[in-house]
Amino acid sequence: MKTIQQKVWDWPLRLFHWLLVLAVVGAYITGELGGSLTDWHSRLGGLTLGLLVFRVLWGFLGTYYARFVHFFPTPGRLITYFKGDWHGVGHNPVGALSIFALLLVLAALIVTGVFANDDIAFEGPLFHLIDKSLSDRISGWHEWLVDGLLGLVGLHITAVFYYLLIKKNNLIRPMLTGNTFLRPYQFVGSNGSLSIPRFIFVVLIASSVVWIVWSGLVTDYLASLSR
Amino acid sequence: MKLKCAWCLSCLFVASVVMANPIEDQIRIRQSTYAVMGWNTGKIKNQIVDHPETYHKDQIIAAANTLSALAHSNLLEELYGPGTDQGTGWKPTRLKADYFQKQDEVKEINTRLIKETDELKVVAETGDVAAIKSQFGKLGATCKSCHDLIRVRE
Repeated sequence: MKTIQQKVWDWPLRLFHWLLVLAVVGAYITGELGGSLTDWHSRLGGLTLGLLVFRVLWGFLGTYYARFVHFFPTPGRLITYFKGDWHGVGHNPVGALSIFALLLVLAALIVTGVFANDDIAFEGPLFHLIDKSLSDRISGWHEWLVDGLLGLVGLHITAVFYYLLIKKNNLIRPMLTGNTFLRPYQFVGSNGSLSIPRFIFVVLIASSVVWIVWSGLVTDYLASLSR
Repeated sequence: MKLKCAWCLSCLFVASVVMANPIEDQIRIRQSTYAVMGWNTGKIKNQIVDHPETYHKDQIIAAANTLSALAHSNLLEELYGPGTDQGTGWKPTRLKADYFQKQDEVKEINTRLIKETDELKVVAETGDVAAIKSQFGKLGATCKSCHDLIRVRE
């Protein structure tokens, strides 16, 4: 079968994906082990925040298939998909649901993590903004969210292997090379070209957000207000 | 007369021992114990890990001694009596109901807590910040293993 190569995932998006894998797996392991590794858990949380901010901005400023408008799972798109009439590339509408769920759960993990404490030696970077008792409750939510994350990651990996082994559609290779192969009935437009200044702008914003939260800047500023 | 007094006093003593340590006292005292432990682990974390420029050898030795003393304080036997999986000390207890079925693991962790705090005392005396940091990590992991085992997630 003659197939045409189509660019779907630009390199910043692929870099984001694999860095996120590293950050999340690392954060999970260091979080479970505790002890001295708790410092690394916090750092990997910071990296995850930066990656999430990057992904959200890239959802507006990235190339065609990275943009949320092109894969947001609207009811219309979901209906089309369930009727079997969806022939696009990139995230399909159901896949997109799972992507947004993953991003939301990760965001919730970051928001709870920055206020959490472990009653041993860890306090999230914004812990001092709230009561200890509230932080204790938020720390519990953080742990429940981990269960949710494990479920979604499991689903994500299962779906990828279902596509690979049953539907004979390799989704891993495009996430490495950026290219997918179009079926004969598929015709899609170009992915557009990547803008380096936009990429630099997005990375700068993402790292600034991490720095503001993790450097104690917010806590210090609010402390100066109440003085 | 003297004998009568002694008898009364010993009765009073026995009564106070029997009546003391109702469930809520045990819960409150153990919550207090962990609060003091957290105060000291927080101090070590601050001076050894986060802000080494504030390191005071004597304070870290005192913190390690406190942690070790509390680990040796027989708290398992005295503060985790039957029925203490429910009740309110300073706040409702978070002890899991199946705590009493996990005694082997609990005792193993307790032994580890004593060992790691004793070791922390030794390295605190040397003033070797890197060694204190590494030993403090082992202690933290021990604390966590118990939290994961017997504490209800909030």
